[in-house]
Amino acid sequence: MSALDATFTALADPTRRAIVARLARGDATVNELAEPFDMSLPAVSKHLKVLERSGLISRSRHAQYRPCHLEREALDVAADWIEENRRIWAERFDKLDRHLRDIQRAAGPHEEEQAR
Amino acid sequence: MTDNTPGADELIFTRVFDAPRDLVFRCMIEPGHLTHFWGPAGVSAPLDEITVDARPGGVFESVMVSDADGSEYRLRVIFDEVVEPERLAWTDPGSGMTTTSTFTDLGGGRTEVRIHQTRVPAPMRSPEAQAGFATSLDRFAAYLAALSGHEGGTS
Repeated sequence: MSALDATFTALADPTRRAIVARLARGDATVNELAEPFDMSLPAVSKHLKVLERSGLISRSRHAQYRPCHLEREALDVAADWIEENRRIWAERFDKLDRHLRDIQRAAGPHEEEQAR
Repeated sequence: MTDNTPGADELIFTRVFDAPRDLVFRCMIEPGHLTHFWGPAGVSAPLDEITVDARPGGVFESVMVSDADGSEYRLRVIFDEVVEPERLAWTDPGSGMTTTSTFTDLGGGRTEVRIHQTRVPAPMRSPEAQAGFATSLDRFAAYLAALSGHEGGTS
């Protein structure tokens, strides 16, 4: 699985998206993150592990409460993938639009040959 | 049932063409047509490198050549569904990404093409995830942009 796949898989879960949204407001401990959810600490930790593996968050190795930190660049990479694919289809379809015009003009009922 | 809200891992792209549906559909599966538009801007898709076996399990292969430096990128996907002239679906076995193209006859010789791409393989997506995709990355991006102002020193 590529890094990007891991990012998307991590974001496919609503709880993990909520965690990411919370971390966008600033670093937080596991306890702080568990608070808004009706969920045990081990369950939250499981989600955090998935997010950590995907590179979306990091956790301090030193501080006692190991606060979680959002890695914004990883999120940007995912947003970029969508933007990039949108651009590709837009450019393809601009060309297809022209192509359809060309062939329909060539085969049109009025036989408008654009001979120069 | 509305699925107009793309989620974090999917892309929906729609375009209306002034051409009958049969013709637009053929453009998407015939190499002679594909070569005219398959490469995005600045990229060509040479005719002799396009293979289309338009049936479930068939291969759709093409090579993208950059006009600027001649670098090549090979695209190889497998058709899941070919329903002429309504729907085409294929999967990229490398990334697990699926692409579904839906062709709608709007009447008056106009056709709407809707492209739906999902990045995460379906089996990996929970039903809640599929239902709750309203929280898109776009929102996250806006969120982050709005908040990044406050947090000068955290990095």
